[in-house]
Amino acid sequence: MDVKTVRDVAKFAHIALTDEETERYCKDLGDILSYFELLNEAPECDERGVNPILVEDITREDVPKVEYDADVLLRDMDTYERYVRGPRLS
Amino acid sequence: MSMDSTLRDLKRINEKYRMFHAMTEDLEPGDSSFLFSVKDNLTSKDMETCAGSRILEGYHPAFDAASVEKMRLAGGKLIGKANMDEFGFGTFSTNSGFEIPRNPYDLDRACGGSSGGSACAASVIEDHVSLGVSTGGSICCPASFCGVYGIAPTYGRVSRFGLIDYGNSLDKIGVISQKAADLKKFMEVIAGRDERDPTSMVQPEFNTAYRKMKSVAVPKEGIEGLSKEVEKAFNDALEQLKSMGVDVDYVDMPSLRYAMPAYYVLATSEASTNLARYVGMRYGHQDGDHTLKFDDYFTDVRTRYFGDEAKRRILLGTFTRMAGFGGRHYAKAREVRQVVINDYKKVLADHDAVLAPTMPFTAPKFDDISKMSALDSYKADYLTVPANLAGTPHLSVPCGYDSDGMPVGMQFVADHWNEDVLFSIAEDWEKQFDLRRPEVSI
Repeated sequence: MDVKTVRDVAKFAHIALTDEETERYCKDLGDILSYFELLNEAPECDERGVNPILVEDITREDVPKVEYDADVLLRDMDTYERYVRGPRLS
Repeated sequence: MSMDSTLRDLKRINEKYRMFHAMTEDLEPGDSSFLFSVKDNLTSKDMETCAGSRILEGYHPAFDAASVEKMRLAGGKLIGKANMDEFGFGTFSTNSGFEIPRNPYDLDRACGGSSGGSACAASVIEDHVSLGVSTGGSICCPASFCGVYGIAPTYGRVSRFGLIDYGNSLDKIGVISQKAADLKKFMEVIAGRDERDPTSMVQPEFNTAYRKMKSVAVPKEGIEGLSKEVEKAFNDALEQLKSMGVDVDYVDMPSLRYAMPAYYVLATSEASTNLARYVGMRYGHQDGDHTLKFDDYFTDVRTRYFGDEAKRRILLGTFTRMAGFGGRHYAKAREVRQVVINDYKKVLADHDAVLAPTMPFTAPKFDDISKMSALDSYKADYLTVPANLAGTPHLSVPCGYDSDGMPVGMQFVADHWNEDVLFSIAEDWEKQFDLRRPEVSI
């Protein structure tokens, strides 16, 4: 993995890296990805589940309900007039 | 140690061992019938929940995790939220934004990870049960390092509702205790389908009747790379098992060598997706600079509050999910997971469990951990990862001690939904194993 790729991935993941961190992660990730190459030697298999056990497709009734007190949900949040406050869009 | 004395001494115990990130302020047992703690990635409505991450500092959940709720309903009093590696990212519980738990047998050594605080609490506090969470070995590893019993059940056995996710296809909530009987007792409490978690399974009846373990398979790949002392303790334990009437066979499980890279591809892919929600809004720290545009705001908060290992795994997972080079690994890792499952099924058709040491070495000193590279640390999980990748239930029991008196553990892996045979061997083993408790003084 090269420095440019690390920077591109970090930007995509919303993480800012110093030059020192970029070089360090570059080496670490390079070592780890080299190790992942071992997968190329693994036997092939037609099955590819997402979970280790098949998760049955069970749905529940979509019943509207109020489970929690809004004040409790908002108590740790940065709010403005009972709206969650976030950064500006532009 | 009575419930009263535990609660009275809780603060002093924690000052010495640093197992808890948050503790109860109510020091009266009241009507409780037992005390318990949980890993700090399980939400609790009366205590801060941070999952070892500073990005969640100040998060007070409005609800209990399903497993916490069930423990309370069974008469339990939650006394502490156990320290852990940030979001479960580690083998030693040293990758934490907060305190690092100390090994009860030697305070200069790690408890193992990532449920290190839970195993520490179970080891130090008498009559205590702690819930841990295993993604790649985070229950059995610390149970082994802290000389206690730990079980991670079949994937989907316990609801993940209220669990702060690491890897959705891997996370399992289980039990850690000094007493083998507690594993069965409390797994029965927390198991079961929960409509709030779509990956909790409609599952076979939870069989808690005694079922003797008659045979184990020791994979040759599971006894490579061990320290001399772990090897000796494990071989002695095999002799002991034979004397208990358990047949021991050696088998080949070639897929085990591919489990590690497959696990890290899948786990970091899932983790990087799960951690995208932490952006300085809604949970934890929300002290970003509101003059910044939203992308820069998110980047600023995430950069300040995620720890080093969390950033490494986010980068790795983001890369492995990308099209091209990374995506190729992801597809292959899913195939390997199935190959590993098939290998277990084949061996477990003729044996009750697959057995190997839990960890290749005993609890290392903090100084030695600080010299390990990221890859060295990942590779230390090679014995615990395969069962986690396969979603098969696994149990660590203490099986010996090295020349420094540090505990050695061995890990039994059973087929999906076959926890009963693990409970039985844990209780049979406990009857004849000479457990050495750590000297606890506060």
